[in-house]
Amino acid sequence: MALQVLEFNFKSAATQSIPKEWSHTGVTGSGDLEVLLEKKDLGGGVKAKVVTPVKGFDAVWEKMIQKFVTDTGVGNLSIEINDDNATPIVVYMRLRQALAEATAKEAE
Amino acid sequence: MKKWSELKDSSFFDASARERAVGLVDKGTFTEFLHPLDRYCSPHLVVLGQAVEFDDGMVCGVGLLGRHPAFIISMEGRFIGGAIGEVNGAKMVGAIRLALTAAKEIKAKYPGEYEAKRPLVVISFETGGVRLHESNAGLLAHAEVMDAFQDCRHIVPVVSVVGSKVGCFGGMGFVAAAADVIVMNEQGRIGLTGPEVIEQEMGKEEFDASNKALVYRTTGAKHKYIIQDCNYLVEDTIGDFHKVLGEIAGKSMEEIEKMRRIGSIDLVREQQELVKLVGDMQPKDSMDVWKHFGNENPAALPELSTAEFLKTVKRRARS
Amino acid sequence: MEFKGITREWDTLKKDTKARVGAASAYTKNGKIVDAENTVALLETVIKPFDKVNIEGNNQKQADFLAKCLCEVDVKKIHDLHMVQSVLTLPEHLDVFEKGIAKKLDMSFSGPQAGRIAEFLKEGKLELGAIHTYLELYGRYFVDLTPRVALIVATMADAAGNLFTGFSTEDTPAIVEATKFRQGIVIAQVNEIVEKLPRVDIPGDWVDFVVQSPKPFYIEPLFTRDPALITDAQVLKGMMAIKGIYAEYGIKRLNHGIGFDTAAIELLLPTYGEQLGLKGKICTNFILNPHPSLIPAIECGWVESVHCFGGELGMENYVAARSDIFFVGPDGSMRSNRAFSQTGGHYAVDMFIGGTLQIDPYGNSSTATANRVAGFGGAPNMGCDPKGRRHSTEAWLKCGAEYSKAPELWGTVHRGKRLVVQIAETFREKLAPGFVEELDAFALAKNAKLPIEPVMIYGDDLTHVITEDGIAYLHKCENMEERTAAIRGIAGFTEVGLKADPKTTAKLKERGVIRTTDDLGIDITKATRSMLAAKNVHDLVVWSKGLYNPPARFRNW
Repeated sequence: MALQVLEFNFKSAATQSIPKEWSHTGVTGSGDLEVLLEKKDLGGGVKAKVVTPVKGFDAVWEKMIQKFVTDTGVGNLSIEINDDNATPIVVYMRLRQALAEATAKEAE
Repeated sequence: MKKWSELKDSSFFDASARERAVGLVDKGTFTEFLHPLDRYCSPHLVVLGQAVEFDDGMVCGVGLLGRHPAFIISMEGRFIGGAIGEVNGAKMVGAIRLALTAAKEIKAKYPGEYEAKRPLVVISFETGGVRLHESNAGLLAHAEVMDAFQDCRHIVPVVSVVGSKVGCFGGMGFVAAAADVIVMNEQGRIGLTGPEVIEQEMGKEEFDASNKALVYRTTGAKHKYIIQDCNYLVEDTIGDFHKVLGEIAGKSMEEIEKMRRIGSIDLVREQQELVKLVGDMQPKDSMDVWKHFGNENPAALPELSTAEFLKTVKRRARS
Repeated sequence: MEFKGITREWDTLKKDTKARVGAASAYTKNGKIVDAENTVALLETVIKPFDKVNIEGNNQKQADFLAKCLCEVDVKKIHDLHMVQSVLTLPEHLDVFEKGIAKKLDMSFSGPQAGRIAEFLKEGKLELGAIHTYLELYGRYFVDLTPRVALIVATMADAAGNLFTGFSTEDTPAIVEATKFRQGIVIAQVNEIVEKLPRVDIPGDWVDFVVQSPKPFYIEPLFTRDPALITDAQVLKGMMAIKGIYAEYGIKRLNHGIGFDTAAIELLLPTYGEQLGLKGKICTNFILNPHPSLIPAIECGWVESVHCFGGELGMENYVAARSDIFFVGPDGSMRSNRAFSQTGGHYAVDMFIGGTLQIDPYGNSSTATANRVAGFGGAPNMGCDPKGRRHSTEAWLKCGAEYSKAPELWGTVHRGKRLVVQIAETFREKLAPGFVEELDAFALAKNAKLPIEPVMIYGDDLTHVITEDGIAYLHKCENMEERTAAIRGIAGFTEVGLKADPKTTAKLKERGVIRTTDDLGIDITKATRSMLAAKNVHDLVVWSKGLYNPPARFRNW
């Protein structure tokens, strides 16, 4: 019944974190999620915490976030996700959008 | 998220709660209270296995409209339909109380300039009312908000802004109507019982919730504007809402008071007149009411753009 | 050898029809007109047990009043009918089986009644002849499934029985032609009886009886997709389709499926398509219902022609005002025709693209679920490589030239290949997987005792699959092993995708058998709803300059 809380740690080749201290993207709508990125000294690694009502997709979450870490080469980053039944592509797109936002120039 | 300059021309209807909050005040002036990094989630949803959000579906903060501090409360309809629970309810009440505290301090510090620096509360509603998962807390929040509205009377204007997907229904329909001023775009809807619930309880003959055109001409902004439940009808851009809020911020408290629907014996009488009218004429459709107030071709009104509508529409005369 | 002719009567059908129609004369007035309240009696007079009967049920318009009346006939008088009809949508279409009025069914598509058909099959209330494609069933109307009695639907009739089917002609000509010219009986329900018709779609001497129904016929706005419901992921797949397939092959003549994926593509043409400079190079000729989501592309000058299977509620005035694009009669209103549109979709387009629910590792795809006998309507005729095609186009030749099996199967002859494209998300809503090791169609075949698994598009016809992970160009695969690897390579984290061998996937990418968004040069962060030319139904009305008149359920203003 209770929400699933999944935690993962990833090694990353790069230590390139985000320029901002933290950045937030998205809404926990049905089939969607929100992403909170935080700059963290993790010795280059990435840690992720996923809070989701969906059971049985732990391995898929790990692979999805691993793919994001591999594709983008981020490091020293904490990722927190509140999910509500998002599909893998939505997860991946939101993570990429979150990173794009976190690296975008400060709003005017 | 979009930059302020991009938000200005963006659709209010499509905007997220945070985009609305940032875009409704002047460029670069928004400061959020309890932002996502504070991770103030609902403790109840976790236990029930329901998805949570770091801001609990409500963005609160303060920004400026000219020289006026604007306390913004913005609801996120995509998170559990914008429903009100314990945390987001408390955020809402807290933000209104903060506006009152600010008013007191401004009065004390700048006694001669209060009018010019007077704060206001702006609530961007997108909600079906109480969040069923934490209903007692949600109901309490409704009551506390109403109470806080009373404390604001004649001191701090409270403005309802309605123009998002979910509309403003349930208990929050009452709350929105209890504000001083109501601003809507064409897509905005205010009501108490939601269309689906009316259909479920009273049957499709009474109200066909799948007939969106019917739903909109019963609960939508054009109808509310005609019967004077809506004070300002604006185009669907965040910039247009921002502009009209700036105007409202600069109005005197007397002018603000005149825009209210309830809150005095005269206003109660005015509402009773309206109830009597409906009893007498037994309208079958909102269009009957529009016609009664002088709109010769009511069927054409929903099709008009906001600008054309504002040019031609006839509204109920207020006493 | 001595020829021995037989002796028999050669006009028994004609005589039987004459007798039946004669017996019904008590119910007619002014020739062919029958009052609505006499309809049940009329049916009891002209229909006999074991007749093949067609109730016109189309994708969109329905002979709903006649269907209702058929349910009310006395089962002692009429029973064991053999229903031959393309679509079963209304509850009455199944009630006739429940009541014993009908026994056997040959059909194409059943939509909302699919669950009940499966149930009835199990309970033995219904005997299923076969599930056909539309063209197959129309073909069989003229071979071995000719209706004895057809209960059809038209917009208007005149006193002579001439019919105006107008905007939503759909199946009517195919049914009437088969029935009447084999001496059958045609009964039409119409919305109104008028002095003079705008035009004659069905000549009066092909029609025996006309009933004005108490209410206008039911019609479903089946092809209206609200742009507000299109997701970012659909925008992404749409961009991939346009760049990786439409532009790559220069697809000019095509059919789109019914779903949101293709609605997204239609709405990306004036934006993303324009950015890529593709106007005039792709999407010029459609076989398609009048999709409201096509309005922006038409208004921007992308589209040269559209022929429609049926109408779409609310599109009447828009279509009438764009007679250069649509097939519009001398009276000014469109005439649709499902039989001809399906023929065009089968032979004359270069690509079919649409969504599906499940794809297996062999590339078979199906929308069938374990407990619903739904059929596929026209999709398989468009979602296949028509072997009878003999004209060539650039897109068709390019796909043929890339076909890895060509040397083995075709020898030295130059041939082309139809592009058959499926768009799928690795996981759909509620995380239902789009790729499965075994299609639900297998379970359905078992449950409903069907002789073959209801596969919508066969794997060997499928040339391309698009998912968010990439496009698989399946026709470039050398063998089944490679084909399966290509499908696994774009199947993401589904059970099918998790079995992908990363090395093999990498090799397929090198060879261009799999292309990802990066390979295609698509920026995934740009794939948002802001790319859509219209973001809601109201935008479509504005694009149409007020000519599109959406049904009330889509009007959120």
